[in-house]
Amino acid sequence: MPNVVVCVKPIPDPRHWDRLFLDPETGVLKRAGIPPALNPLDKNALEVALQLKERFGWEVTVVSMAPPDTTKALREALAMGADRVYLASDKALAGADTLATAYTLAQLIRKKASPFHLVICGNISLDGSTSQVPAQIAHYLGIPHITHATHVETEDGQLFTITMNIKKGELVFRCTTPFLLAVTKDVNLPRLVNVMGIIAAETKPLEVIDARELELDLDKVGLKGSPTRVRGLFIPEIKRRREILTGEPEEVAEELLNKLHEAGVL
Amino acid sequence: MKEHEGFWVFIEQIEGKISEVGLELLSKARELADQKGTYTAAILLGDFSKEDAKKLTHYGADKVFLFSDERLNRYCCLAYSRLITPLVEREKPEALFMGATPLGADLAPRVAAQLETGLSAHCVDLRLGEDGILEQIVPGFGGTMMAVIICPEKRPQMATVMPGVFKKSESHKKGEVIEEEVTLSGEDFIPEAVEYRTKKQKTVPLEGANVVVCGGYGMENEENWKLLEELASVLGGAVGATRPAVDEGWAPEEVMIGQSGKIVRPKLYIGAGISGVMHHVVGIQDSDIIVVINKDPGAQFFEVCDFGVVGDAEKILPALIEKLKERFSS
Ligand SMILES: Cc1cc2nc3c(=O)[nH]c(=O)nc-3n(C[C@H](O)[C@H](O)[C@H](O)COP(=O)(O)OP(=O)(O)OC[C@H]3O[C@@H](n4cnc5c(N)ncnc54)[C@H](O)[C@@H]3O)c2cc1C
Ligand SMILES: Cc1cc2nc3c(=O)[nH]c(=O)nc-3n(C[C@H](O)[C@H](O)[C@H](O)COP(=O)(O)OP(=O)(O)OC[C@H]3O[C@@H](n4cnc5c(N)ncnc54)[C@H](O)[C@@H]3O)c2cc1C
Repeated sequence: MPNVVVCVKPIPDPRHWDRLFLDPETGVLKRAGIPPALNPLDKNALEVALQLKERFGWEVTVVSMAPPDTTKALREALAMGADRVYLASDKALAGADTLATAYTLAQLIRKKASPFHLVICGNISLDGSTSQVPAQIAHYLGIPHITHATHVETEDGQLFTITMNIKKGELVFRCTTPFLLAVTKDVNLPRLVNVMGIIAAETKPLEVIDARELELDLDKVGLKGSPTRVRGLFIPEIKRRREILTGEPEEVAEELLNKLHEAGVL
Repeated sequence: MKEHEGFWVFIEQIEGKISEVGLELLSKARELADQKGTYTAAILLGDFSKEDAKKLTHYGADKVFLFSDERLNRYCCLAYSRLITPLVEREKPEALFMGATPLGADLAPRVAAQLETGLSAHCVDLRLGEDGILEQIVPGFGGTMMAVIICPEKRPQMATVMPGVFKKSESHKKGEVIEEEVTLSGEDFIPEAVEYRTKKQKTVPLEGANVVVCGGYGMENEENWKLLEELASVLGGAVGATRPAVDEGWAPEEVMIGQSGKIVRPKLYIGAGISGVMHHVVGIQDSDIIVVINKDPGAQFFEVCDFGVVGDAEKILPALIEKLKERFSS
């Protein structure tokens, strides 16, 4: 059965980001007790895949690399309509930068989700926000990639026309499968989960796979396989006057304008 | 084995037009190279002559590596990476910078993966640590702080940098252009870019404006948003917005200011109804004077302002507009 792979990243629920902290020894981000949620753009990626499934009868396979306690969030992908989830989870994978993340996900796709027509990612995650993982997965899979996609069109499921938003304009690419696509929020409106979906999700396969089973080169994964490090964190010091004005609108407006005049900007 | 040396910049161009960000990065590369006593280089791909490439030496490049080919005028990641990666492997620079633009963000990770080196994203500053390692500053963790990313062992150290973070500057040093051979076949131009469309952009003079009036989610509705436009027009300035304000549809995406939007440095910045998290602040912190209007006296934004007004923007802004009109008419 033709297969489309969607990379879905569980992230710490943004509503609880005040509880994040860094491990002072390793500089690795700790998610201590924050419930997981799906990265918002990955739902757009999933929506592209689900529409292809509806048109061409393809299967939708979700792959992810995350701690094992994220399975609850990944069930949401199944409830939206994905057919199965493979979650790479292992202590050895912790602390990965984008290169190590992409290597691991590519290996997971090779082992469990091949052959595939398409790999679809979100263009950027809300937490790490590097936007680097998709192109690097494509490198490890040896396929072309297109990021910043705002429109995805195909007649036959083989030849695709993709629009890339490059801010000053748009580039229109034509590409035949297999390739990797990273989508922005403009591409579609992800469907909402309904009760039927939630019930169906309970019996769909969600497999957690460790590093050994993936036959990963352990020098290329996790913190060890990551060329980048977090050297430190700081709160930037910005020296400003910080003169705070309070009072009735008329008064403060007058006072502010006087100050701005003195400062030479009016 | 040759030591890794030199600060390199990928010069982005769109349909043959060189983007500012490459020139901005060259001036930073120049500064870092001078600190370390080494050289700078630019990589230029596209339908350019040696004379075109030579112009980059006026912005701080000691060397310009030119891949001149008409087919390279339009961006194609595979083709670009298959020229850049072998060049970098041959010349062994210690650092390579690209713009944190869509093209840079598409190209840099592929090149970094080919080189099996580290890459940091959307940097807002670059500096050398005491050990000579490049420190790449990225806003992180919900925008409350900055993270310092390093790449201690692999080379080159790679970073994408937000446009507008550094200022381009002319330099009088002499540089040379090195013409490189373009060895590519049709297979390298996959996916094929069949068309480029310029977007009909509303003229947003935001980057060049002397006064920027910016609104956030605290503006509450479209009606209040008009107050910002009026204030900007009285002051002869431009209107900017935070992400939530753009999400609400009060302002177009092009005027979003901050980490994922524009970086501005006006003489006067006025922010109303904005909480002031780092994601936004990085886009305005170089303004000469920062004015913050917020009804919450505890708002984080007050900590980085010159003048703060505690109050309801819906009331403060009309008073300001009124008083300004009086001043300007008298
Ligand atoms: C503040 C901060 C700064 C960082 N800076 C850097 C840096 O400069 N360089 C660096 O190499 N790393 C950096 N990291 C680490 C990086 O965020 C992690 O490697 C992370 O695992 C993947 O990167 P991302 O979240 O940025 O993904 P992005 O590249 O932004 O994600 C894009 C898409 O890739 C897919 N994807 C990404 N990760 C996964 C996953 N685990 N499972 C399934 N799909 C996935 C999803 O479809 C996602 O939408 C940083 C992390 C933090 C928190
Ligand atoms: C990876 C990433 C990148 C981002 N990039 C950007 C970016 O480039 N630019 C950006 O702006 N954001 C960006 N954000 C979002 C950013 O984190 C904040 O969510 C955003 O800047 C907050 O916008 P705000 O201040 O308008 O809204 P809020 O945080 O909701 O603040 C509203 C403020 O208005 C005040 N207020 C309410 N009513 C009134 C009133 N009547 N009068 C006066 N004050 C009032 C409140 O006290 C409050 O302080 C990014 C986020 C992430 C995760």
